[in-house]
Amino acid sequence: MKRHRFRLLPHTADLMLEVRGGDLPGLFSSCVLALFSLVVDRRTVRKAEDRTAEVTGNTTGQQLFFLLREALLMFTVHGFLARTAHVTIKGKHVTLTVAGESLDVSRHPVDREIKAVTAHALAVEKMPGGYLARFVLDV
Amino acid sequence: MRFRDVEIKKLSETMWEIPREEGMRVPGLIFASEAMMGDIVRDESVRQVMNVAYLPGILKHSIGMPDIHWGYGFPIGGVAAMDAEEGVVSPGGVGYDINCGVRLLRSDLTVDALRPKLRELLATLHREVPSGVGSTGFVRLSAEDEEKVLVEGSRWAASRGYASAEDIACTESGGKLPGADPDAVSAVAKKRGRNQLGTLGSGNHFLEIDEVAEVFDEEAARAFGLFPGQAAVVIHSGSRGLGYQVCDDYLVTMADYMRRNAIDLPDRQLACAHIRSPEGKRYLSALTAAANYGFANRQLLAHQARECFLRFLGMGPRDLGMRLVYDCGHNNAKFEVHEVDGKKRKVLVHRKGATRCFPAGNTEIPEAYRHVGQPVLIPGDMGTASFILAGSPEAMRVSFGSTCHGAGRRMSRTQAKASVRGKSIVQEMEKRGVLVASASHKTLAEEIPEAYKNVSEVVSVVHDAGLARKVARLRPVAVVKG
Repeated sequence: MKRHRFRLLPHTADLMLEVRGGDLPGLFSSCVLALFSLVVDRRTVRKAEDRTAEVTGNTTGQQLFFLLREALLMFTVHGFLARTAHVTIKGKHVTLTVAGESLDVSRHPVDREIKAVTAHALAVEKMPGGYLARFVLDV
Repeated sequence: MRFRDVEIKKLSETMWEIPREEGMRVPGLIFASEAMMGDIVRDESVRQVMNVAYLPGILKHSIGMPDIHWGYGFPIGGVAAMDAEEGVVSPGGVGYDINCGVRLLRSDLTVDALRPKLRELLATLHREVPSGVGSTGFVRLSAEDEEKVLVEGSRWAASRGYASAEDIACTESGGKLPGADPDAVSAVAKKRGRNQLGTLGSGNHFLEIDEVAEVFDEEAARAFGLFPGQAAVVIHSGSRGLGYQVCDDYLVTMADYMRRNAIDLPDRQLACAHIRSPEGKRYLSALTAAANYGFANRQLLAHQARECFLRFLGMGPRDLGMRLVYDCGHNNAKFEVHEVDGKKRKVLVHRKGATRCFPAGNTEIPEAYRHVGQPVLIPGDMGTASFILAGSPEAMRVSFGSTCHGAGRRMSRTQAKASVRGKSIVQEMEKRGVLVASASHKTLAEEIPEAYKNVSEVVSVVHDAGLARKVARLRPVAVVKG
């Protein structure tokens, strides 16, 4: 499994993530995988089926915010866990395709409940050699 | 005391004022001891108190309680009252877990009598009261029933035999807030709520058996039915996925409203709309519906806990004497009348991680407690203590009838986990005399007692500031963590 590139930054109550990517689609897919990695050990998730989500945003920050909300809904509403993620961006439109399977509590011990993706301190920045994103998850 | 380039003025041993700077409509006010302020200025919570002061229509102060800590948008432990005509409502000022709150059940048992069976009783509660991510409740709601829950709150539970008239009387606002509109709640939110009624959730949510370890105010303790050595149950939970989704949905609505109405704020998570706007009214209708779901959720959890005790101990309800002392929320926005500049005004009080604490004589308080003040339930960490307080008059003057809601975190989750690496939390807690059962080891590690401020210090501040007075201290003996 490809190693995801994220780390947790200090935050008193919730989870603040910093994620890196070589390009924007790579950054966004790493953000989605980081989110799922905080819910469950993704190595236990099989690539049984694909799910897609589409969002539109005027800024890269908006695009990431809406994308992460949709990714979280895949789990909270549909009980779906992602093993891999692929993102394409065309102008304002972002398409997410994840491969994974439905939650099976006998095989997927869930580490924590993520209540929501917040807009607090959410940022997408261009860095030398790629992009960096920061966002806070309410847990 | 300084926070970056801001000089914070000490008003008294328990009150600190953050002066207005450009953009702030009112000053900030934090209730804390000097030692606690030293910790508070280390994270972003002071900045968040200042940011809340930018909200249109805010009155008197943007307030922080002694359990304040860094949240998103509003700090956790924040209070802001808005003018009902000119002010705004902000979903971030309530939080995702709408009407998250605490419920205290007393009993006629002593912990000493329970102790030989405590481990088995804890296992029974852990098995029968659904907790953890993905858990579902024992009630299967139809779409029609769910709408009734959103409108009726705990009264729906009473109609199904899961609540007594006494339960309803001892729940804040009678367990039902008026003005809920199920149509203002999205289909996704309803879907998330359908099978979660009567579930604890995870994170810092819990069900505890506590021992009344100390009584400070005998008259109030007697009114609340508490005595030293007594076994009591404390439940901390909220409106589950339904509430989270309502907040999430309306933050997007509010962000759009702010763009259209050129409202500029320092944090996107403070997104708001005027209370009188269609967007504001619709959010308040959805908020109320989610709050009612929260009341019903805790009522069902209490029902299940009570049933567990009865079956496990083979006792009748009269012998068990497990009655609801009180249920109060700590994440809500409610219309109340408060005195501002010498005049009574209708205001919308946002409490995010803060508890209403009305003093003796207030007609919102159940009649049985009206002579001593509203019971206020302050859970601490799972190893130390929880406190029962009673509302005091000063709170009406300085904090819109509000006080703290818990110990408040001081350590990040990563720090907490790192500090316990290699240790068994369950064994460590048992050495302290607390049995623990949890759905997730990671959650347990994040919730260690050291991750929280000292709840006794937090409570001493609100006691000394005259917001709420100490009635009793509870000591946890068995904990189900979500």
